[in-house]
Amino acid sequence: MPKPTKGPRLGGGPAHERMLLANLAAALFTHKSIKTTETKAKRLRPVAERLITFAKRGDLASRRRVLSVIRDKSVVHELFTEIAPLVAERDGGYTRITKLGFRKGDNASMVQIELVLEPVNAKPKPKADKPAKAEAPAAEEPADETGAEETGDVTEETPATEVPVEATAAPANEASIEASNEAAIDATAGTPQGAGPEGSGNQRKK
Amino acid sequence: MAVPKRKMSRASTRARRAQWKATAPALVKTIEGGKVVYSLPHRAKVVEDSAGTALYMEYKGRKVADV
Repeated sequence: MPKPTKGPRLGGGPAHERMLLANLAAALFTHKSIKTTETKAKRLRPVAERLITFAKRGDLASRRRVLSVIRDKSVVHELFTEIAPLVAERDGGYTRITKLGFRKGDNASMVQIELVLEPVNAKPKPKADKPAKAEAPAAEEPADETGAEETGDVTEETPATEVPVEATAAPANEASIEASNEAAIDATAGTPQGAGPEGSGNQRKK
Repeated sequence: MAVPKRKMSRASTRARRAQWKATAPALVKTIEGGKVVYSLPHRAKVVEDSAGTALYMEYKGRKVADV
């Protein structure tokens, strides 16, 4: 159950806020990802996730409860038939909020709120890594950094416009990127060794 | 209606106005492609091509939104 919100309602009053959040939720379910202000997105998140929970239950009673919030039957149908199966394996956390910047007119913080429709696969990995972490914490850090730097190239569906850019920039940049990666690895590999004796020294003092 | 008894002096006017100060934003330092970049934390960045044309917003290697 979501925590009740503190402070004033959005819009002109409680009824206005209910309508506003219902409309935002309907827009989120139709477009899968919408751009709005941070305040609205944070209020929308519990509302939308609760509706998705009802959609995952999928029976007539829950459909009517969702219809009491979102009046548009086509949106509710899409929620129950298309979105609910995609998040069936996910235990909560159906939305993702990413900050984008500040709106020009009133400097409001704008965010992108989107449905997390990717298949769930994150959980088993950390359990497998835990024994490895204890053995070699220093070895993992450079690997993570290089992964983070290369994600721009590795990630899914990079648009076709990017390809010529990479092709043209590749000969010039590759050498510098590799050099920077090596430097980063050296730096990170160096720090734990440097920090190790100091840390142990502190422990001895205590 | 209540009205000020005396004219406000230039000194007090200026002292009031001097209290409005800008604060420096807390930036994070990252190294991207060999270059040091300062940016606001937890905020999507604009991806540009070599000509400097904005393509899309990216956060943690994921395309987030159009510009």
